[in-house]
Amino acid sequence: VTWRQKSLTYLVLGPFAIVLAFPFYFALVTMFKTNLDLANVEHSPYVYNDLEGNFHWDFWNYATTEHVTFLFTDTNYPTWILNTVLVAAAVVGITLVFALPAGYALARLAGGWGQTAGIGIFLVYLVPPTLLFLPISRLIVEVGRLPGIDDEEGLKDSLWALILVYPSFTIPFATWLIMGFFKTIPQELEEAALVDGCSRLGALVRIVFPVSLPGILTVVIFAFSLCVNEFIYAFTLISSSEQRTISAGVPNDLIRGDVFFWQSLMAATVIPAIPLALLYNAFLDRFIKGFTGGAFR
Amino acid sequence: MKNRSGRKQGGAEVVEVTDELASPSSTLTREQLLKRGTAAAFAVAMFGGLPDKAFGFAGPHRFTQRQLSGELRIMTWAHFVPAYDQWFDNTYVKRWGEQNDVEVKVDHINNALLYSTGASEVAAQSGHDLFWFISPPSTFQKQTLPLNDIVQEVSRKLGRMTAVARKSTYNPRTRQFYGFPNDYAPDPVHYRRSYLNEVGGSLRTWEDVRRAAPRLKAAGHPMGLGMSNEIDSNMLLTSLLYCYGGFIQNEENRIVIGQGKNRKGAIEALQLMRDIFRNGMSDEVFAWTAASNNQAFLAGRLSVALNAISICRSAEQQGNQALSDDTWLASIPAGPVMRMGNEHVMGVYVIWRFARNKEAAKKFLVDTMLNYREHFVRSQYYNFPAWTGAIRGGFKTIRAMTARDTHKPKGKYTVLTTIAEKYTTNPGFPGNTTPVMDEIFNTFLIPQMFAQVAQGKMSPAEAVSAFNRTAQRLYRKWRSQGLV
Repeated sequence: VTWRQKSLTYLVLGPFAIVLAFPFYFALVTMFKTNLDLANVEHSPYVYNDLEGNFHWDFWNYATTEHVTFLFTDTNYPTWILNTVLVAAAVVGITLVFALPAGYALARLAGGWGQTAGIGIFLVYLVPPTLLFLPISRLIVEVGRLPGIDDEEGLKDSLWALILVYPSFTIPFATWLIMGFFKTIPQELEEAALVDGCSRLGALVRIVFPVSLPGILTVVIFAFSLCVNEFIYAFTLISSSEQRTISAGVPNDLIRGDVFFWQSLMAATVIPAIPLALLYNAFLDRFIKGFTGGAFR
Repeated sequence: MKNRSGRKQGGAEVVEVTDELASPSSTLTREQLLKRGTAAAFAVAMFGGLPDKAFGFAGPHRFTQRQLSGELRIMTWAHFVPAYDQWFDNTYVKRWGEQNDVEVKVDHINNALLYSTGASEVAAQSGHDLFWFISPPSTFQKQTLPLNDIVQEVSRKLGRMTAVARKSTYNPRTRQFYGFPNDYAPDPVHYRRSYLNEVGGSLRTWEDVRRAAPRLKAAGHPMGLGMSNEIDSNMLLTSLLYCYGGFIQNEENRIVIGQGKNRKGAIEALQLMRDIFRNGMSDEVFAWTAASNNQAFLAGRLSVALNAISICRSAEQQGNQALSDDTWLASIPAGPVMRMGNEHVMGVYVIWRFARNKEAAKKFLVDTMLNYREHFVRSQYYNFPAWTGAIRGGFKTIRAMTARDTHKPKGKYTVLTTIAEKYTTNPGFPGNTTPVMDEIFNTFLIPQMFAQVAQGKMSPAEAVSAFNRTAQRLYRKWRSQGLV
């Protein structure tokens, strides 16, 4: 690669990188701003200023950690993070258990109705949650009235509600995604394994799944991201602060009446974004393969 | 399948259980048995780690030497003063729970989500025992328990409740209090005194506001009077209609805005707001949320805003001394007909018909109102009690308390008492806050009417006619349900 090609690449990508990174920079700066610095519109929002609005290089003397501390000491933020991780882990597990065999079965089904069924499953995913949250809310209560539970509240206000509901969106999409991926794997590979003495399940576990790792990782990231971002169900099904996930807890407890706790809000969004960004980065190549894998056959 | 019904006996709940399986008419097929058995096994396997969910018991007794008499679940907003919520949750509620052997659990949500959450609980017929609304939720009244008994009990002890509280929660058609008025917040004008002095403006009347608006905008300090789908705009613009005599309904709760003097007053109010917008504000007021006027005022951009005291209290909490000292409070400007404004917040508790601990909910409401002084102080004079007698000495004491606030200018909060006593009323004045008014508020028809005129999409007369038609339709709808 010549320096000219390199420069061109950076010239094209540089502006994109700046635009995409800018919200993170803004949030990072804001989370450490003092109230007076933040509220004054004559101050630059991109740096830390003194009371007169002047920037100093020793910016740490003009910033504060009190709003980040507030987040950890005066709200249930650490609990929300933990709840989010628990729900996400469970949902990812459930999604894989159901979507992998379903996707495989649909991919290998001979005839046209395998594809039709795949499209049908995908269409389920397109039903907007705003239509479903009231009946699902009712269902979650009804689960509590099953014999042996007898709880009028059902699973409401419990993380189990989210663990049961989220797979209803993740499984259809994941099935559809993984189905496309399985179709790209030559059937001869499995047949060879069967000839060598593998069972159908053995061929699936030993041959198909390892080859499909990029697709499986994509499903994992998709399901995990949905659990982190989802708001409607997280808000409707859970009302106590200590049971909330991060997506419902942050806007609920950091917007009080008509007052926004801006710095804490920024901190609450930046903190989980950092590990997620690192995770995405680490598996970037595999995700690209996962999303494009089903496109060619 | 078991049916449970509970009744109170000597403070303890007696649960009567009838077992349908024991009924001679009930039979269970093998298929049903298998289905139910599988469901039960699944449920126990899934939720076995959560004993309270799986078996419906509350765990060990929370208070030593005492037998719990149930759980009380309360839903309320996230108060703009975090310290109030901390005191309410961790001190007041805890103490009340210990005194009454009730395990109380309080949940807080953002005020913009209260109605949708309430609707969700109604749809599921499950949720909190007590649900607090930020404005009178009269559209929910078929789902709520009439509370005449505890309203009378509190009135016997504290005297008459305020008119704003009564009109907000009483339905004269059904003769029932569908909710319990708990607190209300006066809605003062916040203004930057230096900006107003700079242009020689006054806020005594709405005509003064019209004259000052262009001068303030020219000086770089526009006014901030919202016309968007949010509660502050609703409260402000309905108040403006009162001041000009453009009443939406009359004392009998009939829609009258399209008739005679009411129509004329409404048209004048719309013309006034159009002038203020064109000469003294910017387009942003059409896209505001309830927090926008706070943010713009605290950023030093606005000269005038109508809001409860969250603006000036935030300035104090942020340590913004210059802005805080320069922010003064005043009553709503007078119009040609009257000086009258809506409450900014009318805190109404309802007890759902499906609530599980109705007795505890009622007792909590009564006890809270009888001991409201600390709520008033802890909320930094935001929560005025629905029964003024809840603070011994009534408005006289309240005035003295607000006058003692140490923030500059000294005595700035005293005017809150005047506003609360003389210039605060309910949505729907001079009538009650009917379901018609509640629906008009929650579909933001009033800000939309003003916005259409301000943006030049309709003439004031056309806007009033269109609003009147919609209001009449809503009136017929709720009348057919027997609620108005």
